[in-house]
Amino acid sequence: MTAPNSTRDLRPSYRAAGLTALVVLALYVVTLAPTTAMWDASEYITAAYTLGIPHPPGNPLFVLLGRVASLLPVGGVAYRVNLLAAVCSALAAGIWFLVAERVLAQWIAVAWVRRAGSVLAAVLSATAFTVWNQSVVNEKVYTVSLAFFAVVSWLTVLWCDDPDGRRADRILVLIAYLIGLGYTNHPAGFLVGPAVATAVIVRRPRTMLRWRLIASALLALALGLTPFAFEPIRAAHHPALNEGEPTGCSDRIAVACTFSDKTVHRLMANVNRDQYGKPNLSERQAPFSAQLGMWWLYFEWQWLRDPHGTQGPLQTALAVLFLGLGIAGGVMHWRRDRASFWFFGPLVFTVTFALVYYMNFKYGASQAPELSGVEREVRDRDYFYLWSYSAWSVWAALGLVAVWRVVAERAGRAPRWMATAPILAFGLLPLIGNWRAASRAGEWATREWARDILNSVEPYGILITGGDNDTFPLWYAQEVEGVRRDVTVAVTSLLNTDWYARGLLRRPIHRYDETAGPAVYRGRAWPLPTRPIMSLSTAQLDAIPDYVELREPQLFEQGGIRAVIDPRHLEFGVPLRADIIVLQMLKDNLGVRPFYISRTTASYLQSLGLGPYALVQGLATKVSPAALTAGRDTVQVPGAGFLDVPRTSALWRGFGAPAAIIRRGDWIDRPSVGIPALYTSTALVLAQAAEMQGHAAEAEKLRTQGIEVAEAAHIADWFLGPEPSTPPPATGNDAPRGTALPAKP
Amino acid sequence: MQRSPHVTSARARTVRAAAALLVAIGYVDLVRGGLVVAPLALVAGYVILVPAALLAD
Repeated sequence: MTAPNSTRDLRPSYRAAGLTALVVLALYVVTLAPTTAMWDASEYITAAYTLGIPHPPGNPLFVLLGRVASLLPVGGVAYRVNLLAAVCSALAAGIWFLVAERVLAQWIAVAWVRRAGSVLAAVLSATAFTVWNQSVVNEKVYTVSLAFFAVVSWLTVLWCDDPDGRRADRILVLIAYLIGLGYTNHPAGFLVGPAVATAVIVRRPRTMLRWRLIASALLALALGLTPFAFEPIRAAHHPALNEGEPTGCSDRIAVACTFSDKTVHRLMANVNRDQYGKPNLSERQAPFSAQLGMWWLYFEWQWLRDPHGTQGPLQTALAVLFLGLGIAGGVMHWRRDRASFWFFGPLVFTVTFALVYYMNFKYGASQAPELSGVEREVRDRDYFYLWSYSAWSVWAALGLVAVWRVVAERAGRAPRWMATAPILAFGLLPLIGNWRAASRAGEWATREWARDILNSVEPYGILITGGDNDTFPLWYAQEVEGVRRDVTVAVTSLLNTDWYARGLLRRPIHRYDETAGPAVYRGRAWPLPTRPIMSLSTAQLDAIPDYVELREPQLFEQGGIRAVIDPRHLEFGVPLRADIIVLQMLKDNLGVRPFYISRTTASYLQSLGLGPYALVQGLATKVSPAALTAGRDTVQVPGAGFLDVPRTSALWRGFGAPAAIIRRGDWIDRPSVGIPALYTSTALVLAQAAEMQGHAAEAEKLRTQGIEVAEAAHIADWFLGPEPSTPPPATGNDAPRGTALPAKP
Repeated sequence: MQRSPHVTSARARTVRAAAALLVAIGYVDLVRGGLVVAPLALVAGYVILVPAALLAD
């Protein structure tokens, strides 16, 4: 039976909420990634550790929090930063407990029932796939945002309880401050603003006319935004990661260059994310219905992640169930606790429909695979809807409690809560169904991948990479773990910007540590280069245009290399700034530094006309100073080009990722599955070479090893059967990081 | 009796001063290139003491 509101105990169960948060944290710790992961995880961990600037907007609050986390005396650096994500999400779960309890207090009289429903809300929101998966590795800054959303939610609930109370104004000012501070973690921090404004206007409209309070709130908001000052100060020290270089200081920090127009311009470009050049919202990148379809696709993932599509009907049924429960929960929220609904409802709307419209995504990487010829996001973007799924879970839990109540009331004259409590087990389905896919425990593959590719490069070599997954893990390995810092990694997607090339020029030359490097490079002299990576000055680098018009094939000659650059073979039909810088680095370093292009970049080397000089060594391709011919150690493998057999064999034996992939037994993130595919390709090419050299037993062994990796990653069918398909490139170029690129032909 | 919102207690003034001091220390160390004190002071200041100062009355 429902008692009148006035008799209800509205005191929050802080202890129970805290205990729930601890249980959720324990779950996250058990399933926590021990090290880095694909996509942006390495970038953010590196930024935190080096107190650097990650990609725009630079996320200064996250970097500061991450740096503090990296100082914890537990586990390795990556583990500590991952722990930050876990703590933030556990905190959010604890606060969702309080929010749910507040709503339930309006219509459930029995305390333990309310608490059970609140625990359900916390557990459901914590185990929704994306929330869980993002909470066990710090891939993004969104779990910190989630914690901010939750704290602001609870403060708004408290304000709504007593909008004329002694502390009400202070709470509102604090909310404004936290929204500003949250923005310095990620612009999503502002998403909670419309919900707060709605709650205030509905609950106490005259608040908006109290100009002194509004002025105080705006001042607090501005105070919350001041961590952006971190960016120009820290950037002026030129840390290893200095994306956007938001400083006018080219050498060292000083007052004049810090307070200069250049600093302001660069900082604002970073904060406003100018680098990405997203289209106007009126130019839809996909139909809005398809963008909602993307949200729904990822919504289906939340309750049962099925990465290999083996349980489609069950997954859809669960999604429909949780959609219905969420709607029921939302209706109950509206009917029973209007005050908090006017905050929570607009929040769900903002982080769902409004966000879908605002993000304006192309088709999702995994969405509607039957559609060909549509532009797609390079990876799945479920993490952008983490807040949506987290908040929806609270409503789904309220909906389940509503069902429980109906069943309990029908079970006897008085509600039989205990006897009917097993119905709550539905709320544990995501915990069970998502465990395997969401857990990152024991995932070492990315760390090993970074080591493997760096070790494929000879000492003091230059390695050209193509995107996120063949670059960020390498930054992590070099800057956090100190692995092969002698290698210069240059990623083409960032070479299209001005600041990145300047950073490469500044990068110090690190001495090669022979004892830590692979055995294959021991016993030889590797002279320390004395010249910078390029012969150009900073001004000359800055003057390189975004692209040059090239109508006819052009000859590139350096030493024994004569490469014909045919614009028809280039991705954009013209050489981009990145291509020009790559060729400049090749010109300046041929015979000085070994020059490599990562094998993840697919045909980039061929597009520059360098195919005849390409020698595969492990996971990278070395550009030889003269055209290659087959020999005892250099075998021309059909379809793969020239292969340095002894070098690649030795590297293969030392690679760590194949074993890590096999141990994990799966590769959940399908858009990056080109990485295990590259290992399998390497083993199969080596096997082919061994066969050509008459080593049948060795060939069979290599083939088995390669297929084992493919089977673990669920891509064996790409390599087996009568018509093996071509693996996708493994770069994962997440964002258009250059500006003014010509339209693709 | 309810205190006027424009009167601040000694405790509130102390918390505000501590917040301002900590943030200032953080930025000074950041300018010097500090990698430990700066983040610790800025996080403590921005995430703990400034909110406490805004709530204190």
